[in-house]
Amino acid sequence: MALLEVRGLTKRFLGVTAVDRVDLTVEPGELVSLIGPNGSGKTTLFNCVTGYLGADGGRVLVRGRDLTNAPPHRVARLGVARTFQQVSVFPRLTALENLLVFLQQHQEESVLARLVRAPGVRRLEAAAIERARRLLDLVGLDAKAGLPAGSLSYGQRKLLAFAGALMPDPDLLLLDEPAAAVNPTMINQMKEHILGLHRQGKTVLLVEHNMDVVMDISQRVVVLDHGQKIAEGTPEAIRRDPRVIEAYFGR
Amino acid sequence: MRRVGWLALGVLVAAVPWLVAAAVPRQQRYVLHVLIFTALFAALALSYDLVVGHVGSLSLAHPAFFGVGAYTAAILATTARWPFVADVAAAVVAAALVAGLVGVPLFRLAEHAFAVGTLGLGLVASVVANNWVEVTRGPLCITGIPKPKLAGFAITTLPAYYWLALAALAGVALLYRGLTTFRLGRAFHAVRDNEPLAGAAAINPLKYRMLAFTIAAGLAGGIGALYVHYLSVMCPEEMTVALTVNLLVIVFLGGVGSLRGVLVGAVLFTALPEVLRLAPTWRLVIYGALLLLVVIRSPGGLESLLRRAPAR
Repeated sequence: MALLEVRGLTKRFLGVTAVDRVDLTVEPGELVSLIGPNGSGKTTLFNCVTGYLGADGGRVLVRGRDLTNAPPHRVARLGVARTFQQVSVFPRLTALENLLVFLQQHQEESVLARLVRAPGVRRLEAAAIERARRLLDLVGLDAKAGLPAGSLSYGQRKLLAFAGALMPDPDLLLLDEPAAAVNPTMINQMKEHILGLHRQGKTVLLVEHNMDVVMDISQRVVVLDHGQKIAEGTPEAIRRDPRVIEAYFGR
Repeated sequence: MRRVGWLALGVLVAAVPWLVAAAVPRQQRYVLHVLIFTALFAALALSYDLVVGHVGSLSLAHPAFFGVGAYTAAILATTARWPFVADVAAAVVAAALVAGLVGVPLFRLAEHAFAVGTLGLGLVASVVANNWVEVTRGPLCITGIPKPKLAGFAITTLPAYYWLALAALAGVALLYRGLTTFRLGRAFHAVRDNEPLAGAAAINPLKYRMLAFTIAAGLAGGIGALYVHYLSVMCPEEMTVALTVNLLVIVFLGGVGSLRGVLVGAVLFTALPEVLRLAPTWRLVIYGALLLLVVIRSPGGLESLLRRAPAR
């Protein structure tokens, strides 16, 4: 069964069809990229899949389960993690707390157990702290654990947001432009992180403008233009596809 | 060391009635009266800060919940002759219930609209209190509310009431701390800091907002009940929207989202106007000037001054 299946998804904004009957399937363990010129509907598609926008038509299925128009927290709860194009952190929580908050809601304890800090909750918390420290280590932010996330640099916040998405060990990871507006060293770092996840068998769907990154790491590329899917295939095939070249460079 | 410090502070605060009696024997009643008000206001401000400071929703409806609790207790204690503990419990439940009912539609409003919506609720509650004469007696007030009886002890003296108010404050502070730290606090703060991202972290923002809102309302209702048992009268003017202004001053000038800040704010801004009675003509002018000074010198509230102090 496909991990993510998008069927005929449509989203309109005041008569403009931002996403137009798009079909998209991601199999477990795949690394798929979604590309297209600015305004082609990539982020809108992401937002429809993760519950941030209501779809006007079509369906979104995760492991066969219908999640069309489910609210964001439900989508997340079912193992779909995402990052945002604009770096998004909780500025007044520390870097460590930023990661902890991404895991805790996946562990079902009652409000009362949390209020009185029941032993079971304390154990979960201790394990979560350990995992968070390992992830901070992975993205090179271990020294910043105790600082408010708002005080970190743009690139550091981007890495923190990435680590946050990894906290609950999601089945499907949707990354919205992880390489945008960061320096070349960090782009390489990000690339390595994503490839590392792929090697661990994680499923990743990527929106990215940086063609070097996309062509380097993707197994499959899906191209959107004016909200429609115009091509799909391996990076080599996409590079030579006349429709793609036309969409990017015009005729 | 910290424990010893807290214990010493607790003993000191609990011993205040004797200290006051020794220091200013002729003013004892007045000073205790101000301190009881301070404790109740501090507890009310803490409950308010759960919503304003921790889930970041500017509610102006807190006087309404205070009033619902106050009237529930007042009516049950007089006409129905309910015992003290039962009518306080009913006040908590009634206020939380009202919050639970109005909260869901109110939280559909974003930020400023939410503030205006809650202001509307506060005004409606005040109008109802004034005009539903059959139940609230309107401007005639509900009088003759009996002094509380707790486990066989009648709480009639001012020191006894001071200890009751202090115990209530301690209870609210403890609950406040439990709610605003660890996993619950983190979820509240995530909703406050970045609601869309909180959704991506599998947090249901509405659930946590409602949790803070209803608990805060229940606490406000309970404090309302203690308040009317103390005064033995409940009038509509006790729950006007003006009460919100006092709460906003305490919370924002004390230190929004901080237990210590709100406590400091409550002590200063409830006791200060009383101290300033020494200069009656200029009292409110000096008070206003001091508020301005705090806002200008320390926009984060007095708490941020404490935090900046190196000693720790």
